[in-house]
Parts: sequence; structure tokens; C-alpha cells
Amino acid sequence: MRVKLLYHTDIDAIKRVLAQKGVGFDPEAMMDHVFYMFEIEDCSRVTTHQLVRHRAVSYDQESQRFSAATKEGVVTPPSVRSNEIGYTAYDGALKAVYSAYEDMVAAGVPKEDARYILPSAIKTKLVMTLNARSLMHLVWQRTALQAQWEIRELATTLRSLAQGATPELWTKIIER
Amino acid sequence: MRVLLVWSSPFPEKTIAVAMRRCYSTKPIEDIEAELEQKGPEYWKYLLVKALQDKSLDVLEHFVLTLAVEGAAEADVGPLVRAFPYLRATQLRPSDWLMTLNARTLVELWKDLRGKTFAEMVVSELSQRGVCPIFNQLAFGVNTDAS
Repeated sequence: MRVKLLYHTDIDAIKRVLAQKGVGFDPEAMMDHVFYMFEIEDCSRVTTHQLVRHRAVSYDQESQRFSAATKEGVVTPPSVRSNEIGYTAYDGALKAVYSAYEDMVAAGVPKEDARYILPSAIKTKLVMTLNARSLMHLVWQRTALQAQWEIRELATTLRSLAQGATPELWTKIIER
Repeated sequence: MRVLLVWSSPFPEKTIAVAMRRCYSTKPIEDIEAELEQKGPEYWKYLLVKALQDKSLDVLEHFVLTLAVEGAAEADVGPLVRAFPYLRATQLRPSDWLMTLNARTLVELWKDLRGKTFAEMVVSELSQRGVCPIFNQLAFGVNTDAS
């Protein structure tokens, strides 16, 4: 998985306006106004199905309607990889699925219909734009121990990038 | 009421184009950005025209604006915030606000009787600042040299 912060709000620009108005910087109120745009690559569709439950967030994700899928582009969970019987079953099922997908596409079935057979393990890419309030809620929920390993890894990375870009906002919120 | 731009997403038309290309490309983001840079503003304009024609307004949501709004009463701001959930407002002083919205919401405000006057002020401010000339021309018919 790879995550990149594409842009974030310039907090100093907001602070200048607040100073002009004689208003202090309140991290709680500013969470609505500080935005981040992220690129997320090569996480599974399992994880993006969990991700898109979060509001209010703007997502644009790689479509499977027109791009061909390959067996190499899948995520294998560590618990499957470390389990010999489990991995044999996983790998065998993927081979069967991708063979069927390729046969359908070769036979003229549109990719948008052949994709119905593709696994949730398939890797995907998306851009995501959200404010600090939505991101903090996402981080709070998805870095919890109950969260699944892949989205926990994603949420941890998102938090790290956001905190690195706008440390003051995150530090003040986390301190509370 | 007076609207002043505080901050906006860098390279708005290119950012919208990135979101559009993300849906149809399998390439990493750096390749998409390089492709958009190489093809230039005419291509960003082509993609934006397509998004607006197809009403694929989701891609506009990645272009975000933060505004200082002066001389607005709660009675002006409240109905807008309730009707447009992606419009966020923080009251700084009795008639001064910090407001943040995305370009999709701006288009929706423009088309709605309740939001038209406010949207026109925002577009005028963006236009005066030269922030997103292609977007302003295509979405709102603002005359610009970038056409």
C-alpha cells in the first residue's frame, strides 16, 4: 500500500484571517476548515469498501469497467500467507477466478461485466479529500484494535501524513 | 455581505483533472500528474467540460475553498449550511464567518435560488483573484482570457 498527501489547507492563511478579526485559533472549530487530499494506491477493495462508509468524504476510485485486472494485483492477508493450507486454497481460487475472467474477456464479454467475478482482494487506487473532522473520526475508529489490519495500516499512515503536514491542529486535538 | 478568499486548493483545474483520470487510469499518481502536465490546460479544460456535461460533479469536490465572509447574519448563513451539507461555517464575530466549501457545492449553490447571490459573490472573488479561470468560464460563464 502506498499513500501520498497531494495537498492540504494552509493553516497560516486561516490564522492570518483569525488574527485580523481578533479571534484565537480554536483547533476544534478549525477541524471543519482544514482539508487534505490523499492518493491511496494498492490497497484491497475489501479495505476501500470499509473506507467509503466514512462521511463526509469525497472519493474518486479507479474503475474496473474499462481497465483489465491481473492476478498479480491482489492483496494477500498475512494470516493467509502464513497458513500453508489456507494459502494453497487462496492461490488456487485466485487462479481459477482470473482464468475465468481472462476467458470471458477473450470471448468478448465486456470488462465491466466480466469483473463481476473478480475478488475483493484486488488492489485499487483512489483519491480522497476530507476535512480534519472527518479524518480524525476515521483515524479514531480505524486505528482501534478492533479494526482490521489493512485499514488500520491505512488509517495510521493517513494520521501520520496529516499530523506531519498540520502538526499544530493534530497535537492540540490529541492532547485533549 | 462581502466575500474574501482565504485559501483554495492549488491548481484547481488540474486537481479536478487528476480526480477524473484516477477513475479511468491504472497508473500511479505521479504518471497521471506527468501526463496532465505534458498535455497542458487545454486537456484539463476538455476533461472539465466532459465532467460538467455528464454531470459527474463528484470530481469537483476535490477543489476546496475557504472564505472569510463579512456582514452576514445568522439568518443568511443558517439556511445555506442546513441545505448544503458540504458547506461549513464557523462564526468568528456576530456578522463575520469563516466558510469552507467545495466546487461542487459552489455549482449547486449557483443553481439554487437560496444560494445564487452568495455563489455569485464567491465566483466574482475567484475571478478577481484569477484563481480558477477555466473553471469559472466553463461552470459560470465568466469571461476570461483563459478561454
